[in-house]
Amino acid sequence: MSAIIEIKNVSKEFKVLNRHEGLKGSLKDLFSRDYKTVRAVDNISMTIEQGEIVGYLGPNGAGKSTTIKMMTGVLEPTSGEILVGGNVPYNNRSKNAQEIGVVFGQRSQLWWALPLVESFKLLKDIYRISDEKYDSILELYRSLVDIEPLLHKPVRQMSLGQRTLSDILAAFLHDPKIVFLDEPTIGLDVSMKAKIRTLIHALNKEKNTTVILTTHDMGDVDALCKRIVIIDKGKMLYDNDIEHLKGFFGSYRTLKLRIDGDLKKQADQIQKELPEFSVSADDEWISVLIDEEKAKVIDVLGKLQHSYNIRDMQLEEISTEEVIKKIYEEGVK
Amino acid sequence: MKLKKYLALTRAGIIETLQFRLSFVVMVIGNLLYLIVVYFLWDAIYESAGTDVVNGMTFSDTLIYLVLATALFNFMEMYAVWEIGRSIQSGKIVLDLLKPMEYRKYLFWSFSGSFIAKFLLTFLPTFIAVAIVTNGAIPFGINLLYFVLSVVMAVSINYSIDFIVGTICLYTESIWGINIMKQVIVLLLSGATIPLAFFPDNLRTVVNYLPFQSIYNAPLTLLLDGAPTAETVLTTLGTQLIWCIIMMIISKLFWKVSLRQITVNGG
Repeated sequence: MSAIIEIKNVSKEFKVLNRHEGLKGSLKDLFSRDYKTVRAVDNISMTIEQGEIVGYLGPNGAGKSTTIKMMTGVLEPTSGEILVGGNVPYNNRSKNAQEIGVVFGQRSQLWWALPLVESFKLLKDIYRISDEKYDSILELYRSLVDIEPLLHKPVRQMSLGQRTLSDILAAFLHDPKIVFLDEPTIGLDVSMKAKIRTLIHALNKEKNTTVILTTHDMGDVDALCKRIVIIDKGKMLYDNDIEHLKGFFGSYRTLKLRIDGDLKKQADQIQKELPEFSVSADDEWISVLIDEEKAKVIDVLGKLQHSYNIRDMQLEEISTEEVIKKIYEEGVK
Repeated sequence: MKLKKYLALTRAGIIETLQFRLSFVVMVIGNLLYLIVVYFLWDAIYESAGTDVVNGMTFSDTLIYLVLATALFNFMEMYAVWEIGRSIQSGKIVLDLLKPMEYRKYLFWSFSGSFIAKFLLTFLPTFIAVAIVTNGAIPFGINLLYFVLSVVMAVSINYSIDFIVGTICLYTESIWGINIMKQVIVLLLSGATIPLAFFPDNLRTVVNYLPFQSIYNAPLTLLLDGAPTAETVLTTLGTQLIWCIIMMIISKLFWKVSLRQITVNGG
């Protein structure tokens, strides 16, 4: 395994004009030199190996896109060093472009008015893909998804799902070493999401392409990523395997109980009995979030069984989504 | 083959342009309306002048010139400013920058297809129609070759100007006003709306030192002048070539500097 992306102590600062309020303020802004510096990315380091799928997560405005733009060479870091495939991306944008593919969920790189196959042919010439390689990758695409009906459809007539699928295929067309996928499943229905996840997984396996995936959909993360990196306010919060993440805040499990009577009242009472855990109730279940380092689930259940008539129970592992939500909200302690 | 990737863009441009059949019809109708207005306007001007020849041009000279200028405008105007501005605003420009090709070239070759399609579908028919209707007012000879050369350079100069104005959008983040201003300046000072012969002497001297007249005035003068002297041909084409190179360098450098600004400061 060799490192394909190396990021060392990278920071990125933007200068932003200090805007004033109101009409008078707006007029003042026309001549204002009053800039403030915003640190969008603050001292980030990571190494990504060839063939990894890395989930790059963070709340909105955390600095994800900025990092990606630096890796693609569109932005230059204020300080620090980035190497992508051995090149400095912003000094060598065209060369770097040959090695990477990008999909930005909300925008398309395809030619709007043309059938998909024409876009593919164009990309073939722009990236100078040889005939054999082009044929073999189309063959691979055919084996993975049903592209025949898409090929002759103008992109503007496609549904969002079809278009995203096409965009992903287009990004992999020139067999890049790295593909950046920025929210590829945004706005898609469940079955299309599943299709796209399968496709990304298959392409990564087949071509050993490194995939950097930003998303807000934890389903994507669970389905695709072994490793995740979380940033917030420009700072790196977490960089490790997804398995480690679950033990990150201690080992939490949720015990769900169905008890006769008024759930709200019962929940309050249970909370009094178990002050160290948080207890909540919805229409059907009472949930007890148990930290297994403090007590075993079975003991809690045994204790409760004495005083309540438990009709049904469920045990839930904490989901990636909840852990990440906790990280976003509380940060790392 | 290096050229292949550019020609691929040309090809796609032609196909793309041909997808929108209806827009041609609308364009032709719009032009007809414009030309009718032009006809009556200049008819009135010549009427009130009281003579057949104004500033060395007869009514039909002026009309032929303006009809062909409009036809030229239709295929040369590429709305590159719009395209650049919109890409910047929508952020699509990131995708274009990530093509393994210089943005300036990428955009030019993307437009080249529509040039060819529009040249064949709008300019050529207009040209032939004018030639038939006026029956010999357009000389056919070596001047056609000069004209073609001149138009190629005009396209390049026009593109460079558009690209420079488009680059300004990187700073202003708005397009509309800038684009309108550019269009008015170019159309007026290039002689596309009023033949340069009608300009006051002082203004004409100034205009001759500007790049704009190389876009419309130069090719049309070469086309319509029945027997241009070798000197006229050489100075006209020479001036165009010089502007061609200067504007290309300026637009290239300006873009490079601006892009650096953006990548350093963000946007």
